[in-house]
Amino acid sequence: MKINIEQALGKNVKVTDKKLVTVIRTNKVNFYYTRDKKTLDNINITISEKKVTAFIGPSGCGKSTLLRCFNRMNDLIPGIKMTGKIEIEGNDIYSPDVKLEDLRKKIGMVFQKSNPFPMTIWENVAFGPKVNGITSKSDLDEIVEFSLTQGDLWKEVKDRLNSSAMDLSGGQQQRLCIARALANKPDIILMDEPASSLDPISTNKIEETISELKNNYTIVIVTHNMQQAARVSEYTAFMMTGNIIEFNETSALFTNPKEKLTEDYITGRFG
Amino acid sequence: MSDKNKFRKKIERNNKIAASVISISGYGVILSIVALFAFLLYETIPLFYSASVTKTVSVPSNKNSKIIFGDIDSYKELFYSINEKGIVSYYNVKEKINSGNDTIPLLDNEKIILSEKSTTSIGRIAIVTDMGRIINIKIGMRSDFVKDKRNIVPTFEIENNFNIYGSNKDSSFGISNLSYDISSDGNKFWSWLDNKGNLYLKIFNSDSEQFLDYNLSKQTSTFGLTALIIDTENELLIVGNNSGELFSFDISDPEDVTLKGNWKSSNNKITKLAFLIGGNTLIVGDSKGEVESWFQTRGEDNQLHFSPINKFKKHNSAVAQIIASPRNRSFLTIGENSSVHLNFSTTSTTELEFKMNDHSIVYGTFTPKSDGIILVDNKNNLGVFNLDDKHPDVTLNTLFNKVQYEGYNEPEFVWQSTGGSDSFESKFSLIPLIFGTLKGTFFAMLFSIPIALLGAIFVSQFSSKKLAKIVKPTIEIMAALPSVVIGFLAGLFFSSLFEQNLMLIFSLSLFGPLLMILGISFFGFIPERIRRNYPSWVDIAFVFVLMCLVYIIVSTTVYPLEHLFFNGNLKQWLYSSLSVTYDQRNSMVVGFALGFAVIPIIFTITEDALSNVPKSLSSASLALGASKWQTVKKVVLPAAAGGIFAAVMLGLGRAIGETMIVLMATGNTPILDLSPFNGFRALSANIAVEIPEAPVDGTLYRILFFTSLLLLTFTFIINTIATFIGDKLRKKYARF
Repeated sequence: MKINIEQALGKNVKVTDKKLVTVIRTNKVNFYYTRDKKTLDNINITISEKKVTAFIGPSGCGKSTLLRCFNRMNDLIPGIKMTGKIEIEGNDIYSPDVKLEDLRKKIGMVFQKSNPFPMTIWENVAFGPKVNGITSKSDLDEIVEFSLTQGDLWKEVKDRLNSSAMDLSGGQQQRLCIARALANKPDIILMDEPASSLDPISTNKIEETISELKNNYTIVIVTHNMQQAARVSEYTAFMMTGNIIEFNETSALFTNPKEKLTEDYITGRFG
Repeated sequence: MSDKNKFRKKIERNNKIAASVISISGYGVILSIVALFAFLLYETIPLFYSASVTKTVSVPSNKNSKIIFGDIDSYKELFYSINEKGIVSYYNVKEKINSGNDTIPLLDNEKIILSEKSTTSIGRIAIVTDMGRIINIKIGMRSDFVKDKRNIVPTFEIENNFNIYGSNKDSSFGISNLSYDISSDGNKFWSWLDNKGNLYLKIFNSDSEQFLDYNLSKQTSTFGLTALIIDTENELLIVGNNSGELFSFDISDPEDVTLKGNWKSSNNKITKLAFLIGGNTLIVGDSKGEVESWFQTRGEDNQLHFSPINKFKKHNSAVAQIIASPRNRSFLTIGENSSVHLNFSTTSTTELEFKMNDHSIVYGTFTPKSDGIILVDNKNNLGVFNLDDKHPDVTLNTLFNKVQYEGYNEPEFVWQSTGGSDSFESKFSLIPLIFGTLKGTFFAMLFSIPIALLGAIFVSQFSSKKLAKIVKPTIEIMAALPSVVIGFLAGLFFSSLFEQNLMLIFSLSLFGPLLMILGISFFGFIPERIRRNYPSWVDIAFVFVLMCLVYIIVSTTVYPLEHLFFNGNLKQWLYSSLSVTYDQRNSMVVGFALGFAVIPIIFTITEDALSNVPKSLSSASLALGASKWQTVKKVVLPAAAGGIFAAVMLGLGRAIGETMIVLMATGNTPILDLSPFNGFRALSANIAVEIPEAPVDGTLYRILFFTSLLLLTFTFIINTIATFIGDKLRKKYARF
């Protein structure tokens, strides 16, 4: 991938300046699952580096679809169509020169339902680095420890790295999935309702993990839970029927929504 | 309210009915499987029953006159004995009454000292008297039906007699041994030893209607001959002496009897000789009680020699009698101390030991159907025994071990259940059949596993949904193809196609995949931006065109290659250079056809297993930057391992049990040969082939049940392993 001067500059600027650096920028993105079903309608959004951005909105509003556009997971679905442009770190990710594997290595993803591989904990975390060409056992050990520590799981599992990941509890499994995504040393982590199938205690733990991670990673999180969005995110986008209705700093959006629809949604009139 | 109650009751009643019907059917399935096993066992187990004898009657006899012969009709109803005074007395075994006498006309004071019946012609008896006469009689048993009741009526006839001493009657002269036989073309043979050890042979030549006399003692160059026997095919006269030597005379030409050979068979005096049915196996008994079987094998000089084959259980005293069964390869050996052994030559076992009483036995014979034994002791006690030994030729050893059959130079695994004549020695080794099943299965799996697995991986993971929707049902239809159709095509069409295009088939299966892989890897050079935009049928079209291209390339180069390397004909070259014979219906053809039947099973189950791996797992892998192939290899395949294993095992089970294809597409030759160019006979096909030869409750019938039991057990074990290991793998890899 070409080295982007702007991006390099931006990063340098960031250290000295508090100015926000844009990591993801979409430009007039339209998305169709079938020819006549428009799921995303003219999406323009910029997501800043090392911040947590939440997408909220009622079911079917297209927030997950938008998230999946960022690492091109939608490509797997036959019959889809996308127009517009998505730039990550200044590069058009839908350009034919982009290698999917490289893109996805840079963008980790955590899914709604925890999906550890039916392997050992160690193998789960080492999977990403391994498929991306790291073979040395000591390197992998180091990555596994680092990722599990970042995922807030190391203390709990360090003595049983070789036991099956399926023996972990639901919350632990989800944190393992986060650690697994971190093992590729991504810049961005996409989270698709990561706590929706967990109990409150596990959810709390995940949220703590997210708060620790936001110092080092750009995080985009899709959530149904408005309190969660309010707790973990710095920016929130409210989406409805494929449109971004309002995008603002989280505190501003929740306390002083500019749009009537946003207000109705966050006060629970629909959704 | 009452309506509601009624409704609820109705639901409850229906629930109960449904529950009981379902559980009855469920238990019914299990029960029927168990019943099937039990029935197969029930039909099989009698194979391994040991022989037993039960005494049926003691026939009363006149204690004053020594009995020298006894026999019974084939229904075991009318017994008769001949005593030394020439009285033939009939005894109705059923009604336990004497039913008349016949008399052999003897001279004054003449006594019968020996008798011998022909082994091949029923009821023909030669009798030797102390005055040197041989009297030939014929006692027939006719069954008359009076008011639907069977009545056995004896017929008695004196055929001829002659004096073997000539004119000079010498009281010190006597006959110690006699062998008598009538050949199928009417030649009669008498051979005897006198008490001076001289050997005589008298032949009645039915062509010239003349008697021929031979004194053969000089040719043996030794004295002290002690035993003799004419074989049942009337080709050999075997004589033994008191130092354990045997001499064989060729008597096949009545005009020219010559000494053929001699060999040492024992260190002791030969006391008794007998040929078993078929005239191949010679049983030798000696004065130390040793019993050994011999038959002719081809030696290094390519000549037939008698070789020792099996030793049977030793008697504690000299062998006094050896009696061959008229129906099978059973024989009785009787020691001087009255011990009776029932032996079977093929299995080399002594099945039974018993005693009639403590007196020594002077005469014994099998009943005409070999289902009974008649014994006479020196106190004139007559015993008729029932013999229950229906399957003497089957033991676990003969089924699963090498056996040296008559005419074979060494022990071998042979399956040859029936032959041209009644005296055929059945060869029931299951090893060639089991081997055949495994061989067919091996080639079928060799062909089907790669195709089915790769196909399933392609359809479930790589192909477009549209294509999968066409391919999957098509392959499922393949499973519905009657195996007789596949077998028919394979046996009549593919086998000749293979034979005519052997080189092409080989080259295609070798170079075809290589060239295909080369061609397909060109895809990698097409830039992704172009690849992404073409419709999915382009893949298929490309592969199709590639296949045609590969075929054209291979088929045009193959014949020059064949000329260059194999002198123009691979088949001939195989034979001349590697001495590999090529059968038209061979294991390759079967592998192909059977594979065709197995592919749908493996494909369908594998495809299901792969498709059932949750999308979330492959998404996780892809999201981590793994390529499609890495995802399949590292995540999907391990997660589906249980299902894939089960698929392969079920395919294996189908291949083992499949009958029609292996029946039609092989030559059904039960041979042990690893060559893919030979046919084989599978267990399943064997059942189909042998059914017409297997009378109900016969040995073959029960062996076929045994093989069905084996097949069922095989498939049962394989399916159990499939389920068991499949479950384990599923537990290990597929807990999602």
